Amino acid sequence: MDEANEVEITDATVRFAGRTVLDGFSMSLRPGAKALLTGPSGSGKSTVLRCLLGFVTPEAGSVRIQGQAMTAETVWSLRRHIAYVGQEPDLGSGTASEILERPFGYRANAGLKGNLQRVPALFRQFGLDLDLLEKEMGDLSGGEKQRVALIGALLLDRPIFLLDEVTSALDPASRGTVVDYFRARDDITALFVAHDSDVFSFVDQVISMRQNDPPRGAA
Amino acid sequence: MNDIVEIGIWQLAAAYLLLAFPLAIMLWYRIPMIGDTVVGLVRMTLQLIFVGLYLQVIFKLNILWLSAAWLLVMITVADVSIVRSCSLRLSRIALPLFAALLAGTAIPLLLFVGLILQRSNLLDAQYAIPIGGMILGNCLRADIVGVRTFYEGIRGSEKAFLQSLAHGALLHEAIRPHVAKACRAALAPTIATMTTIGLVSLPGMMTGVILGGASPAIAIKYQIAIMISIFSGTAITLALGLWLTAKTSFTPYGPLDRTIFRNTAKT
Repeated sequence: MDEANEVEITDATVRFAGRTVLDGFSMSLRPGAKALLTGPSGSGKSTVLRCLLGFVTPEAGSVRIQGQAMTAETVWSLRRHIAYVGQEPDLGSGTASEILERPFGYRANAGLKGNLQRVPALFRQFGLDLDLLEKEMGDLSGGEKQRVALIGALLLDRPIFLLDEVTSALDPASRGTVVDYFRARDDITALFVAHDSDVFSFVDQVISMRQNDPPRGAA
Repeated sequence: MNDIVEIGIWQLAAAYLLLAFPLAIMLWYRIPMIGDTVVGLVRMTLQLIFVGLYLQVIFKLNILWLSAAWLLVMITVADVSIVRSCSLRLSRIALPLFAALLAGTAIPLLLFVGLILQRSNLLDAQYAIPIGGMILGNCLRADIVGVRTFYEGIRGSEKAFLQSLAHGALLHEAIRPHVAKACRAALAPTIATMTTIGLVSLPGMMTGVILGGASPAIAIKYQIAIMISIFSGTAITLALGLWLTAKTSFTPYGPLDRTIFRNTAKT
């Protein structure tokens, strides 16, 4: 355990219905670090992110965020340090504008509502038309949804980002914008999950699930 | 007004002649429902004979604890029926839902009998059992719709639900839109009934009071009071039921615990 780590998983074991997905998995990230989590499908990449969000509880091992152990009591405050953008994000029904405003109705983000003023600038930065704000989320393309989800996460000013295949539906230009954005943000600790490691060549650290997984855990 | 006309056993048997129409339709169109229909009819007849005899005894004795015990039996049956209809595990849901049904039935019932009817015995069998039954029957229907909408809704949109937790929502904040959706679905039929009552059909209680010999002026007062009691009871039961069952249906970390569903293997 290192108090200076922003994110730390130590000897985590996760099983689903008798199948071992993580077996003694460990990783850590320093503040501001950028890391790529890579590995074949079914190797447990998304499970690592779910452990860090407290959606999956390892049956052995520990998860620490900013030095604090994740428990049923602390998980609610620890999530306030983390932004998560999932693969094929599902943010619920409503217009893009309503989706972006929704998290500010939660007590955890009540003081951040002013951040919504940054929406036009972020839309321009990520190549989105402002007219999209009034469109239903269900009518947006996969790439537009990914960028709206990313903007929603950025508005919450979280220091840790967990990004699951966040550029998978983007064209090369938009992909470059996203990568450049995170490369320039020294204040953000980011863990990317991606199959295409070339896009994330700038990262400080590559965590291969192939090495961490037990032979029978990897698909 | 005249007293209600007694139905003799042969006259009642004549009512079964009406079954010739639905049975003929089923036979003509070869609808495979005759077996279910016969089972339903036999069960209805036997259950009502049993209940009729039992209620006669309860009405005659009119003992407080006996009326309360009968209401508790009705609530237990409703409780089990809701949990099974929603494909949830009895061991996880039945107890908190029982508490919700008890509160949702007892509060409007006691107010109806005590405040509206001004009876000194709040569990006077003649009033408490039929009125309690009407409130509970509607709570049953509303809870099946509401509880199912709530849990199936969260299970069906789990990614969006987890995203709201990731955005910092506390559990009560994350489930709020699902509670609202469940309440809308469950309460809408009662609201629709209130909107059209008297125009489309004469409601059950009003019909019963009129058949019992009372004037329509008295009957509508009973009907208004029972509709408000039903609406209030269903709202209490559903809101309390979702709140209480949610305490045991989510993991301490927030996600829905899928082992509450009967068709999910325990891991």
